[in-house]
Amino acid sequence: MSKRRLIATLLINNGVVVQTRRFKRTNVVGNAFTAVDFFNTWTVDEIVILEISNTRDHLDRFEGIVEELSRRCFVPLSVGGKVDSLAAATRYTRRGADKVVVNTHAVERPGLIGEIAGDFGSQCVVLSIDAAPDPARPSGYQVMIDNARRATGRDVLDWAREGVARGAGEVLVNAVEHDGDKRGYDLALVRSLADALEVPVIAMGGVGEWRHLVEGAVEGHADAVAAGNIFHYTEHSTKKAKEFMAAAGLNVRASQFYRIAMPRRPKYAAF
Amino acid sequence: MARVAVVDYGLGNLRSAMNALSCFGQELAIAETGDALADADIIVLPGVGSFDAGMRGLRSRGHDVALTRQVLGDGVRYVGICLGMQFLFAGSEEGREPGLGWFGGTMRRFPSGPGAPKVPHMGWDEVEMRAGSRMFAGIEPPADFYFVHSYYAPCEGDAGRYAAATARHGFDFVAAVERDNIFAVQFHPEKSQLAGLKLLETLLVSP
Repeated sequence: MSKRRLIATLLINNGVVVQTRRFKRTNVVGNAFTAVDFFNTWTVDEIVILEISNTRDHLDRFEGIVEELSRRCFVPLSVGGKVDSLAAATRYTRRGADKVVVNTHAVERPGLIGEIAGDFGSQCVVLSIDAAPDPARPSGYQVMIDNARRATGRDVLDWAREGVARGAGEVLVNAVEHDGDKRGYDLALVRSLADALEVPVIAMGGVGEWRHLVEGAVEGHADAVAAGNIFHYTEHSTKKAKEFMAAAGLNVRASQFYRIAMPRRPKYAAF
Repeated sequence: MARVAVVDYGLGNLRSAMNALSCFGQELAIAETGDALADADIIVLPGVGSFDAGMRGLRSRGHDVALTRQVLGDGVRYVGICLGMQFLFAGSEEGREPGLGWFGGTMRRFPSGPGAPKVPHMGWDEVEMRAGSRMFAGIEPPADFYFVHSYYAPCEGDAGRYAAATARHGFDFVAAVERDNIFAVQFHPEKSQLAGLKLLETLLVSP
């Protein structure tokens, strides 16, 4: 299999990067561009950026952020937040998204997944699922939507399977009760999806120590491990995370540095 | 200064490729039709979409004829990315349309099912670079690149003969081909961070 990916997650609320705990915004941690420059330098394998404002008033500003980020981001960039139509997905891809993340609107209208996959391919559609424990469901978890404010009663594994059948190329799973809690991923949840699905599964939510990343891969069987909050507080953080993962025996991408002469601004010409 | 034309055949977006290609100070232009390739020193074909839709897009815009004339006839440097590598071959199991046919052989689909690695092949993998490859000059092993694909060039025939690198997804496949003025990679250098930018710099800047 491919190397385990380390993914940095940026949550954008009203145009600024924030941290969350159990889906409630907590600290403003700053500017998305600084964060991405920092991740680029320190070997993160992929970046996920999600718009989580309560209103749609900040979407234009968010799209501007995505476009500017894509100029600096030379790893895959997944973009989500309020994707309710093929047109909305297209707006993100035009601004530089390599993949589009769907969540609430896909639950409400599952045909959305196939519409986006039909135009851009399955590799472009990431199905994000927010899960909360629910003993009444076969998998033990139910799907939460609308920033975890609304319970759907839908079984998580059942929904993930449907999403993949409809064309999702990856599944990003976040445990609502672990989000921002620094106690590690919900490993049983991650493993149940990673073992059952044919597509890559990304674990998210709860990383408070580097060893949680390793647990997500080794015990959770996740193809990729994501974290947000922890990266904002540690210098050279993604590099340290990678080194920890490598030392634990995981097959991860090594950091290499090449001297590349890049001008500050691109030069376009018609000829 | 080299003039770099990026082939637009109407599928998906070219932004990621343009972002990376614009790093090296070249004149960069999007070619919507084959005519626009006429004055290019380097032609880049970034691949997105499906094989058939892509080949139909190339034909309807006159790119296929222009590419063959410029690249095979005049020796203009060709840089293919992902589908831009697969188009070089005779065809693909993904569709029915013939490819450009500059290389013999057919693209195959990765097997899926119990025990097989996940398809599409998505993620970072180390490539085994062939000694003396020009496009990988200056890149030290281990060199990891980002792949996203469900079809691959098998290590046989022309693909094997002109392989500049191989990678592994359950078994070895051809990750890059290189022949005279033709360079093409299955992975996405524009999304492969510093190693990818280094490769693009070599292809765009070196004489």
